Amino acid sequence: MGPWGFVALAYGIVWGAIAIYAYSLKRRYRAAAAELERLDATEKNG
Amino acid sequence: MPGPKKKRRGILGALALIAIAIGLYWGLVVAPPDAYQGEVQRIMYLHLPSILTAYLSYFLVFIGSGMYLWKREKRDDLLAHSAAEIGVLFTALTIAEGSIWGRPTWGVWWTWDARLTLTAILLLIYTGYLMMRSLIEDQSRAAVAGAVLGIIGFLDIPLIHMSVYWWRTLHQPPSILRPDKAPWENIHPSMLTALAISFVGFLLLYFYLLSLRYRLGEMREEIKTRRLERSA
Repeated sequence: MGPWGFVALAYGIVWGAIAIYAYSLKRRYRAAAAELERLDATEKNG
Repeated sequence: MPGPKKKRRGILGALALIAIAIGLYWGLVVAPPDAYQGEVQRIMYLHLPSILTAYLSYFLVFIGSGMYLWKREKRDDLLAHSAAEIGVLFTALTIAEGSIWGRPTWGVWWTWDARLTLTAILLLIYTGYLMMRSLIEDQSRAAVAGAVLGIIGFLDIPLIHMSVYWWRTLHQPPSILRPDKAPWENIHPSMLTALAISFVGFLLLYFYLLSLRYRLGEMREEIKTRRLERSA
């Protein structure tokens, strides 16, 4: 592998992993927000 | 309509993306290659910001843990837990980048050098912290045990920092943040600019992720409390 190959590998892994983590965090966040909305709706309807 | 906190988080995320894009352009295009290492030195624009971000994260774990043991407030524990999760991500990335940088410069992907080994131990401590927290069912016990480990784990960071002075290591001593010289005297101004922009991008991204993870923790707490109230 040439020098740019190592640079591309490092940048690819770092930004790929951060993107995956941010995506999974957003998914967990949306799931929790949806659950709270469900609880709100249930409490409102008694 | 998004609330003010959500709006602020959105602005933080957008600023992080802008800083990261400029940092990538500066680090990969504008900054010159290193006189000795050539193009692979560009990995430094990821490596240094990611380890400094990880250190910041563990500092917040340390503060949150100490405050929790002192005052027993849930928000401090939540801060420590959120910061530990993101700290583990940035530590793992630091080790991965270092390994990729080490192959063309040292000739090996990994060596049991003092700094590398202590950084791997740091990753193990905080991965253990997260595993332990998910395994202990009693939340207050998990928080106390986590706080103790969060504080003890932080002691590894000064060891990592001093390891290049105390032991004969393959890892170089600090070349930019040196006590005897100002940073701009050690590095080409364009390289220093790339590093600074990249660091700002990492910091903004870090606080964006931390704010999102903290809010997620708050929401989970609220869900748990409301479910308990309903079942009571």
